[in-house]
Formats: sequence, C-alpha cells, structure tokens
Amino acid sequence: MTAAAGALLQIPIEKYALPNGMRVILSPDHSVPVVTVYIAYGVGARAEERGRTGFAHLFEHMMFQGSANAPKGMHFQLVESNGGSLNGSTHPDYTDYFEVLPSNKLAVGLWLESDRMRALAINAENLANQKEAVKQERRLSFDNQPYATAIVDRWPELAFSNWQNSHSLIGSFADLEAASVEDVARFFLTHYAPNNAVLALSGDFRAEEARRLVEEWFGGIPPQPRPPAPDLTEPPRQEPRWELYRDPLARVPAIVIGYPGPARRSPGFYATAVLDILLTGGDSSRFHLHLLKGRQSVIQYEANLGWPFAGPVDYREPGQYAMMLLYNPAFTGEQITAQVEAEIARIRDEGVPEAELERARTYLRSARLHRLESSHSRAMLLGKYELLDQRPELINTELSEYLEAGAAEIQAAAAECCDPAQRTVLNIVPGNNALPT
Amino acid sequence: MLDRTKPPETPDLPPFKLPPVFETRLANGLPVLLVEDRRFPLVTARLGFEGGSKLDPANLAGLAESTGALLTEGTARRSAREIAEEVAAIGGALRAGSGPDALLLSGNALAENLPRLLELMADVARNATFPEDEVALRKQNRQQELLAQRSEAAFLAEEKFAQAVYSPHPYSRQEPTPESIDRLDRAALAGFRDRCLVPNNAVLVLLGALPPRDRTLEMIEARFGDWARAEAPAAPPAEFPVPRRTITLVHRPGSVEADIRIGRLGIPRAHPDYFPLLVGNTILGGGASSRLFTNIREKQGFAYDAHSTIQPLKDSGSFAVITEVRNEVARPAIEALLGEMQRMAETDVAAAELATAGNYLSGVFVIRLETQDGLAGQLVATRLLGLPLEYLESYCARVRSVSPQAVRAAAGRSIHPERAAIVVVGDAGQILGQLEALGAVSVEEAQ
Repeated sequence: MTAAAGALLQIPIEKYALPNGMRVILSPDHSVPVVTVYIAYGVGARAEERGRTGFAHLFEHMMFQGSANAPKGMHFQLVESNGGSLNGSTHPDYTDYFEVLPSNKLAVGLWLESDRMRALAINAENLANQKEAVKQERRLSFDNQPYATAIVDRWPELAFSNWQNSHSLIGSFADLEAASVEDVARFFLTHYAPNNAVLALSGDFRAEEARRLVEEWFGGIPPQPRPPAPDLTEPPRQEPRWELYRDPLARVPAIVIGYPGPARRSPGFYATAVLDILLTGGDSSRFHLHLLKGRQSVIQYEANLGWPFAGPVDYREPGQYAMMLLYNPAFTGEQITAQVEAEIARIRDEGVPEAELERARTYLRSARLHRLESSHSRAMLLGKYELLDQRPELINTELSEYLEAGAAEIQAAAAECCDPAQRTVLNIVPGNNALPT
Repeated sequence: MLDRTKPPETPDLPPFKLPPVFETRLANGLPVLLVEDRRFPLVTARLGFEGGSKLDPANLAGLAESTGALLTEGTARRSAREIAEEVAAIGGALRAGSGPDALLLSGNALAENLPRLLELMADVARNATFPEDEVALRKQNRQQELLAQRSEAAFLAEEKFAQAVYSPHPYSRQEPTPESIDRLDRAALAGFRDRCLVPNNAVLVLLGALPPRDRTLEMIEARFGDWARAEAPAAPPAEFPVPRRTITLVHRPGSVEADIRIGRLGIPRAHPDYFPLLVGNTILGGGASSRLFTNIREKQGFAYDAHSTIQPLKDSGSFAVITEVRNEVARPAIEALLGEMQRMAETDVAAAELATAGNYLSGVFVIRLETQDGLAGQLVATRLLGLPLEYLESYCARVRSVSPQAVRAAAGRSIHPERAAIVVVGDAGQILGQLEALGAVSVEEAQ
C-alpha cells in the first residue's frame, strides 16, 4: 500500500441539524457550475406492513404528484426548465430523491423538496393514477423480463425467513390495489418527517446561502414521533436452500447464489467486500480467469454485498453476499455452485498472493476516486453515510478501512461464506411451467 | 416575508466555457487532443476509429463489435491474462466497444500510471493477435449472450426497427446473428483491424491530471509515432430507402406488454435540421415534462414510460417514439402516439415548451461534462463526426435559440407519422386484432 492510499483527497463536510431534527450535510466544491440536492428518508420496503407490499415504492411515486404550492406536473417541469435532472428510488431501508441543477438554481431544488415534505398533495385521483403507473412499471421491469420476477419476488423469500426481509419490494397487484388514501396520508406523516430525513448538498454553492435557504424552506416543518424500527431479525439457518425456477421468458440458464453477510462496518464487512473484488472485480478476477476463461462454464456474472438491491455503501444487515451468474447450458446449476464454492474455498484455504491483493487495493482506490467525480455521486454518498452510519466523514475515511483488510481477514470472510448450511441457491432455467411461488 | 406560493426567482443559466483543449497531429496523421483536469489524480483516454458496424460485410454482422472485444484478449507481447492484470495494477479499465459509426477504445488509470496506460492502449490497438482459443470462446459466449438478449422484448423491437428503417444499408444490422457469429474467424478479425485501426482514421483524446505538455506528447509519440499510416476505410454508400408505413408484429409468446416503436428515417448528424429536431424531440418525448410522458403515462396511464429518441448517425439517422403498454390498450396507445407525432409536425410548439426544452438540453449537457468520462466522450464524438470543437462551446446557445417554425419544419421532415414504420413486439394472441385495425400487419416469430 502506498503512503497516500488512504487520503486521496479531502471532500469538505459541514454537518448540522435543524431544530426540527432534519440533518443537513453541506459539501461545497466550485470546480464545475453544478449542484446536487439529495434527500434520503429513513424508510424503505423492509418497513412495509403485511398486505401492503410495494407500498414504499408506490409512495415514492406519489412524491412526484404535486404538493401545496407545486401543482401536479410542476416538479418535472420546473426542474427541467431550469436545466436540471431528477429522480427518486426505493430501497430496502431508505427512499431517496435528487435534483442535479445548474449551480445558480439551488433554490429551486430546495423549494420543491421542502414543499412536498411540508404538504404533499395526497388524493384519490393521484393515487389511482400512480397505482396504474406502478403496475405498468412492474409489467415492464419484471413481469415482461427474463430472470427479473424470480429475483424480485422469489429470491428474497428463499434467502430470508423474516417477512420484513423476504417480501417483494415491488409488491403484488392485489396489495397495490388495497392501498387507500388514508394509508398514504398516514405513511407520509409517519415517515416523511424532517426528523427522519437527511439532506445533502454537494457542488457549486456558497455554504452561507445554502444554510439560509435550508432554514427558510425546511425550518418550519414540524417533527413527528418516530415509530419503532421494524424487527428485521433473521432466525438462525440450519440447512441450505435450493430451488429450481422455470422462467418462461429466459433462454439461457442463470443461477443466484447467496450467503448471509457480515454486520455493517464490522471487520468482516470490509473483508467480504475485498473478497468480492478478488472473485468478481474486473478481467483479472478469479471468476473471470477460472470460470469464464478456464472452465468456460460461466458467461456473465454480477455480485455484491447486498445484491440485488444494495451494495457496500447501503448494505444493512440482515443482508446477503449474493451473486447471479449466467451460465453455459452444457453445465448444471449444481456444477456451477460447486465451482463457485471451490473458488471461495481456495481463498479460505490458501489465502491471497500479495500481488493479487495489491491489485484489489488499487482497484478500490481508483473506484473511490471515480465515485467522487460528480456532485451527484458525492451527495449520495454523504447522504447515505449520514443516514445509515451517522458518519458522513466516511466519504474521506472509509477507503482506508478497505485497504487495511488483510489476507487473514479475507480468509476468514471466505470461511464464513463456505458454510454450506448457510447457502441459498435459486437456479433459473428456461421453461414453461413456473413453479408456484 | 417568505413566499412559499411561487417558485423562487433564480438567475438565467450560468454560461458554459469549455476547458482549454490543446490539439495537435502526429506525422502519421493521428489527431491528438489534450485537456488538463487536475481535480482528481486520474487520467482518461479515448482512442476512437471512424467506421464501426457500418463497415461489417453483410454476412458478418457483429464483426466490428467482436474485433473490439478481442483487442484486449492477446497481443504479440501480452497474453489476455497479462493485459487484464496490468489493467488492474494501474487502477484502470480498458475496453473497446463499437457502434454503427465508430470503434472506440476507452481507458482510464490512476494518474501516476499514465505511461503504462498508453503503453497498453497502443499495444492492443496495434498488435492484437486474436488467439484461436480466445476467438472460439468469444463465439461460444456471444451465441449465448445473443440468446439472452433475444429474450428481451426491447432488444427484439430495436433490432426489427433498425431493419424497418435502414435496410438494406448496414445501419440495419447493428447486432450479430447466430449465423454471422458462426462465420467469425481470425482472418476476418485481423482484416477488420488492418482496415479500420489505422492512425489516420483515428483520434486520441487524453485528459486528466497530465504531466507537463512536452512530456505528455513525448509519451504519445513514443507509443504511437511509428504506427504506419494506411488507406482509411471507405464508408458504404449513403443510400437509404424511402420511408413508408409498415406494421410489423414480432410475436413473443407470453409477453404481458406490447413493446411499441414508431418512427422513420431521419437526418444525418451534420444536417441543419439537427438542432430543431433535437429540441422538438425533447418537447415531444425527451423528459418527464414532455408531451408523451404527460399524455401516455400521467394522463392516460397506458405505460410506465413513453419517450422519443433520435439516433443521429453520420450518414443518416432515425427518429422513434417508444413505449411499452399493457396488452389491452395497444391500439389506443399507438393512435395516441401517432396523434402526438402529427401535432409536432403540423402545429407550432408553445414558447414555454421551447424554453423548457432549450434549458433542459443546455443544463444537462453541462452536468454530463462533470466527469472525465463525460468530457472525453463528447470530445471524441465531436471529432469522429468531423465537427469543430467550437460546436461543444456553442451547444448551449444553439439549443436555446431554436424557433417554433424551425421545429415544425424539421418535424415535418422527420417526425410526421404518415410514412412511419410501426414495430410491435408482443403476444400475437393478445394484440394482433388491435393492430390489424390499423392496417395490414406482417407477423414474424421472435427468433
């Protein structure tokens, strides 16, 4: 490791909270005339109640349907007419929204975000319309795609036992239909309160002006009592799980393999992330050299701590280190699983040559730098670190934690993965009779 | 007193100034563009070659793509594994991709490793050997990847639309076929490399935390200076079919949606209609406040997404509206799309729409230049199209000065639905009847 590896450059951070509990992170940088407004609420799909699967995501749609002073359609129109882009997304543990704007348009983004946090327009017409949009999204992104329904609906049920963790993030049509205007209003009041939100601003703005605008627009929004956090505890696993899923839209077999992941920010967390890079990061990774090239058994793969809905930045336990591999139909799912586990076992048993580990560390340094390039990416990192760790400074310090993961810790992480009793496999093969789920 | 009832007043968009670009040319004809960007200790390189899949012979679709993919799988000096390990060791990435008009080798690295990045890029661009075993593996995996792609409705629609609009020009063959993959061999790959990858057919863009300019130029000269000039490949004749109305249904059993594309041959990238069409396309279907998004998604609830797009290629181009709707509303959705296309071509857009689109295009253009990747991509694309760099600096002013009359005239030539091809991918049992109500339908099985 080179001396400067841990401290590539320092992203400025000012952190404070408004009296109503909203946390604010300011990170000015004047090199490009662009500013990002990022806001994350600490509620996601894992907080949903039975009978309301997909609700957090449906609610995310409602956030774009207008508010007291920004009628329906204005959010999109105002951001775009000011030269910006925007979006929102729902995750297992949080829901986030952003506007990327030309730097002198900061006030527009803050006005829009504060107006909908203060007084969202919740009515039957908007709800009916967005139920349709979400059903269309489900058809487009899942029901009409190979592999996707298996991953979003079936994989969590197989990997987790606690309903809070195992239910579908996109939800069922029946549950979407059942959502009422009262449900939406209650969810808004409970979870979209300032004391459950983090606002991160990054890019070309003056901190003094930003503080003033944030105080003006958000200061008067009242806090709400926080509900108890959902119980996400997973019962211990005693035996492996394996399921065959026949996917009528798939033409090439794919396999999803997962193992219970480490506690966030534990030594095993960093070691597992480095293990993942050794296995799957780039063309010099072990999967590429040994499976794609050597055995010619695997065609494409992706893996992550938190796959498919998260990565190391927003992974929260109970989570999985999981992967999906598209494989050569001349092999069986059992063979692919054995090959994957043999690769992990080799690291457990033989460790990692120093040159290979050094390459992984260089990969981490480079990847970190690329994530700091845009104001959007910096604001997202700052917001998520504050929301999930209460430590936005991780944007500057986290890299060294990864770089310090040594061979012994990586071997230990590999050993954790290799416990066959903990393994979950979903083998997705082309076929016409999808198993009941 | 704080007034929440109105959006805050803000100044006009800030002016955009392109960072200084140093341009030179090596004796062998290779143009070189350098940009200093010291914000991050990173360097980004692009080596672009004019002529991508449009140079593929008719029976070898996918040749440019596979040539690119195999450049990094072995050279006279390095095995595939050595290349992969060196790329990782410099904290970088190195990959070649291809589009209809260009083959693009993209690389990046930690700034301290610039010499090693240049060495690798020169080696793979000049000395690729296409080893037999790597070619065989590529063919085997590309067949499976193609099968996987063909399981996606959007891929089938894209493929059929390109055929409907461009055939028989090579732009109609932007993806390989099982047969063309079978025919690939070392001789064809090396032939493509020798024809297309020559210095006088290329442009090198280098940006980031670079060493002093003399030193940077020395490094480039040492690795690319003795690369021999050769005859640049000739593009196929720019001959395109006259647009006409056709309705094609690609039958994909089990589809729960109709994947719809409606469009026609458009304009080449350097055509004077380009900016009016770009702005018109944005008003019609460019963003979340566009007419299509507002009508098809927010008002009618037909679809999750509805947008329009222009593919402005060098020798021609296309325009398309795209949406995916539930099966029951395939016909009303198509009628709504045709209606919106006609309105663009026959009536003037409102001043407010024009301002929104101009500001949106202008703002997003600057936002995309925030990263080294974004700026390098714009520079290499501009040069490969033969446009002056001034084009980038004037982009924002141009998209904000288009008139309603210009939009309408350009839309009349490229958006009017009368001669538009309609391509739908879906389950014939669910939607064929609805399509037949619109005209004669040719039905094909999804391959």
